[in-house]
Amino acid sequence: MATEQPKPATEDPKIDLFEDNDEFEEFILDDGFLADCLTLNIEREFSMNLDLDSITDEFYAVIILGSATEDSRQEKMKHNDTLLPSTVKNKERRSAILVKLKHQKKVEKRKNAKVREADEKRALELGEELPLKKIPRTIENTREIDDTICKPDDEELFAGNDADEFSSILKQDFTPKILITTSRFNSTRGPAFITDLLSVIPNAHYYKRGTYDLKKIVEYAKNKDFTSLIVVHTNRREPDALLIIGLPDGPTAHFKLSRLVLRKDLKNHGNPTSHEPELVLTNFSTRLGHRVGRMIQSLFPQVPNFRGRRVVTFHNQRDFIFFRHHRYIFETKESKQAESKGKNSKDGKEAKSKEKVIARLQECGPRFTMKLISLQHGTFDTKGGEYEWVHKPEMDTSRRRFFL
Amino acid sequence: MPRTTKVESPSCPPFRALTTDVLGLVKVIETRGEQSGAAAKVVERWGDPDSSKSVVSASILDREKDPLLGVARKSGLIDVISVINGDLRHSIPNVCQDGTRPEDDPIVGLHLFKKQRSESSTRSCTSLTCTTKGYVRIESFEESKSPADSIRDPSPTSWNVCGSGNILCSNVEENENYALFGGKGVEVNVWDLQKCTKIWTAKSPPRNSLDIFTPMWFTSTTFLSKDDHRKFVAGTSCHQVRLYDISAQRRPVMSFDFRETPIKAVVEDLDGHTVYIGNGSGDLASVDIRAGKLLGCFIGKCSGSIRSLARHPELPIIASCGLDSYLRIWDIHSRQLLSAVFLKQHLTNVVFDSHFRTQDAAGSAPEPLDVNEVPCQDEDDEAMTTKRKKTSKGHGDSRSKKKKSRKTSKED
Repeated sequence: MATEQPKPATEDPKIDLFEDNDEFEEFILDDGFLADCLTLNIEREFSMNLDLDSITDEFYAVIILGSATEDSRQEKMKHNDTLLPSTVKNKERRSAILVKLKHQKKVEKRKNAKVREADEKRALELGEELPLKKIPRTIENTREIDDTICKPDDEELFAGNDADEFSSILKQDFTPKILITTSRFNSTRGPAFITDLLSVIPNAHYYKRGTYDLKKIVEYAKNKDFTSLIVVHTNRREPDALLIIGLPDGPTAHFKLSRLVLRKDLKNHGNPTSHEPELVLTNFSTRLGHRVGRMIQSLFPQVPNFRGRRVVTFHNQRDFIFFRHHRYIFETKESKQAESKGKNSKDGKEAKSKEKVIARLQECGPRFTMKLISLQHGTFDTKGGEYEWVHKPEMDTSRRRFFL
Repeated sequence: MPRTTKVESPSCPPFRALTTDVLGLVKVIETRGEQSGAAAKVVERWGDPDSSKSVVSASILDREKDPLLGVARKSGLIDVISVINGDLRHSIPNVCQDGTRPEDDPIVGLHLFKKQRSESSTRSCTSLTCTTKGYVRIESFEESKSPADSIRDPSPTSWNVCGSGNILCSNVEENENYALFGGKGVEVNVWDLQKCTKIWTAKSPPRNSLDIFTPMWFTSTTFLSKDDHRKFVAGTSCHQVRLYDISAQRRPVMSFDFRETPIKAVVEDLDGHTVYIGNGSGDLASVDIRAGKLLGCFIGKCSGSIRSLARHPELPIIASCGLDSYLRIWDIHSRQLLSAVFLKQHLTNVVFDSHFRTQDAAGSAPEPLDVNEVPCQDEDDEAMTTKRKKTSKGHGDSRSKKKKSRKTSKED
């Protein structure tokens, strides 16, 4: 039954065209080579497992009508209302279509936004509840589910925290003492960055690198009771990487530095004081992120001086850690919204001035971004050491997969 | 060129593995495999998280009846627990040399002997422990009422393996006559366990043209096959895998370089010429050691150092665990990842329980376990074998042949 049906359907157009359009007939019947190419094309598509009915239709349509690709495109157009720009081969026409498409989308978006705003305003004025706001889809929202995310009630996590290398510092048995040094060749921006770092991290000391081996430096630092060692590595006259080594046998974290803005290059920057800063660590959600967060926490003193109004932020987003250093001040602001609408007050609302307390921030200190390249178990030993986490390209399986 | 198409790998066969970690926990991971897509998951967790009890080495007595897992902890304590239900059988407090504290001389290797050394038929087990400074002790202990009061052998055999340097790896071969030790500054030695003498020491390969002396640093070893104690493979900290043959020469017979970090784990395959190596940055590969050829790498997002590998005695799967806190199961032939389980801590050892059988009815799964707890008698042997789905009688028979009582030949 299936084989009989297409035949009568295609019998008719065949006869019609032969009667009506002589040119088509000539075009096809003379050009056997084109017919062969077209059959080859159909056979290739057939081998790609298309369903039989559409193939047989297209086969007859191709041979008889003679212009295969345009027809299939027209058929596609019948199915979709919009023309896919990628099917147009002509670059000028294609870009023109794209421009039109973009403009259309922009106009639609603006229209929707206006409608939304009007709805909201109306709801506010009438006192109704606001229409539900749609949540935009972001990469952070659609992050791949990770088994390694720390759960809040995990006793193994707490036990692991007690057992790790930073617990003694975080429990305030020791005060952090940081040794900062550089790679062998220091550069143009390096010294300025180091002076900025010295002002950010309390109880930090800078020693010149000289020609010491890093393993020897680790030993010397252990002898002098340092709790951490930071090495600023420069490449092409720019500080490039940060190596944070916990002592005595703490892990070694290798970060890549980027987007460094020194204090003097910030507009309206403030000068930090020497009070102990508050530390803000956000979004370190996985076990690895937790460990890195604790490592950063062990660099700073555990008792912040809130009166000093100084805050250091390490914000993790998409595996990039953003460092910011601010001074803040609390101010009371009178919101004057009722006064401005005084003449148009509806429903007999009293004109009252609401006082809000807000915090104003002033950025001081450097601004940079870090990305974890590897976390090594034990102090610095690239050859003989074992890695807890090292980034490998095979791990980047999806854009929504993050490790920190 | 790397594979561009996805190879169809078989789904994960049912297995049971035990892992130990730095908080002293022993976790049991099982997958039933009957239901399609059944993922491996942690079914039991033995122990309390305590970092002073962090596990350093583990050894499994993989047998039908009463399989035991020996676990050596950082505090010098050795716990022998039952694989089926986690009961503590023996607990040996301090196996170090008298006079040294366990923290100064931690245990590096542990091996539980399958064959009983003494004639006693009561439940006893013999263990070989090796510490970092080279103190090796063979001791047997018998079960008593409470695990902590295990009756210890009054005169254990003990000797020193090396004068200086640190032992990092130790293995006992399948017939338990010979043992192998190697470490940092310690060349690989083979000792005869009956006579407690060193029968062979390795010699380092000839110096390179720069005449630089690098001290020997072996990080992992394994015997190559079950029947031959003469060939073994050692991995060094300089990312080299070496095949030694006792009967041929003292220098390595074949040497193979693999990537750039120390080779942390080596395990041999059943065919006697393939070894699987895992290194410090999480790369796992299979190598044909006769020819010194890399057969292929196991790619599967392993980002932390591989601390331990285990090859299942029957199924073609291999387990790897390490510092990234994942237990991964790989298929040997297609080198694909079959399953990965996140276990929250740095893992130190993994072993397979090869006598795990899945049952069709859910109710019958715990039955073999109950039978095992009953004190061993002959009737129970038959009862157990009839309840097992897969006939492992052949396997059991070959093992019972080996369980001959050995003469006490401790003294020289």
